[in-house]
Amino acid sequence: MPSEDQISKLLRLKRHEQPRPGYFEDFLAEFQQRQRTELLRRPLWEIIGDRFSALLPTIEVPRFAYGAIAALAVASTGLILLHPNAPLAASTTVASTVATLTLTSPQPVTIGASVPVALSSSGAPSVHYVLPTSPARYASSRSF
Amino acid sequence: METPETPDQELVARTQAGDARAFDELVVRFSPRLYGLVYHMTSNHEDTNDLLQEIFAKAYRSIKGFRGKSSFYTWMHSIAVNMAINFLKKRARRMTMSLDDLDNGIANDADFVEAAREFDPRHQANLSELQIKLNEAMLKLSHEHRAVVTMFDVQGMPHAEIAKILKISEGTVRSRLFYAHRQLQNYLQEFIST
Repeated sequence: MPSEDQISKLLRLKRHEQPRPGYFEDFLAEFQQRQRTELLRRPLWEIIGDRFSALLPTIEVPRFAYGAIAALAVASTGLILLHPNAPLAASTTVASTVATLTLTSPQPVTIGASVPVALSSSGAPSVHYVLPTSPARYASSRSF
Repeated sequence: METPETPDQELVARTQAGDARAFDELVVRFSPRLYGLVYHMTSNHEDTNDLLQEIFAKAYRSIKGFRGKSSFYTWMHSIAVNMAINFLKKRARRMTMSLDDLDNGIANDADFVEAAREFDPRHQANLSELQIKLNEAMLKLSHEHRAVVTMFDVQGMPHAEIAKILKISEGTVRSRLFYAHRQLQNYLQEFIST
């Protein structure tokens, strides 16, 4: 089994693998060419996005702002945890409104003004869930 | 008299201020080294060229966000390694290597021939075979292991620098190297004269 040192020496041979002569002289020109082509080809929103993301780290946020946000978050969480069943003000108002609409409401509602759909022989109204007439035919009388 | 080289930091500041020519200078300065890094990870010159173009394009787009917490060298290498690993993941199904990918001139490189003489004389007649085997062995490593081997063994970077580039601990760098070398010992033992 070859030693680690021998492996390292063998791998060092790879340093001799180089691109064609003159490659690095042409590289910069190719880079500039590609940059120009890319600029012409890229959509506007992508360029704006790049500019914005490059700008983000430069936006300075004051240190105390992080502390204030953290304190606010802790206070809110604490309040929620301490009073998990505390009713909200809005729901109290709704509940009081509903309480006035009970069965013992002083204003009775009359329903007898309407005529029943059908009456049985005994005079008691029978409930119909199915239409008494034959169903409409959808077959066209016309032929094409 | 040779003029002293402008520090990277100054070129970065000039680029951030909108001087595109300063970035050109950084491209010239860093392309040979980054080429080696990407090439030894991809083992393909054409892919390396495309990827290197993309790496510099990305660096140029994000240079305003570079705050100098690490050196520009480390920052550039981080971009290159991450982009190379992402590229390799996408290319995972295209791992076969043709002879066209080989650096044909290397067998005539006097330094390479001299360095290769140290290994098994049975293989001296066919240096391209050694090169193929080396590249195949590298391609068998995981992307992360290959990155570490490339930076340490091929490019000669210290552990600490590799750790900064990959944002991992030095211990992890050493551990990855250890496992990578163990794998390579199996693949390459026929080329080592014992």
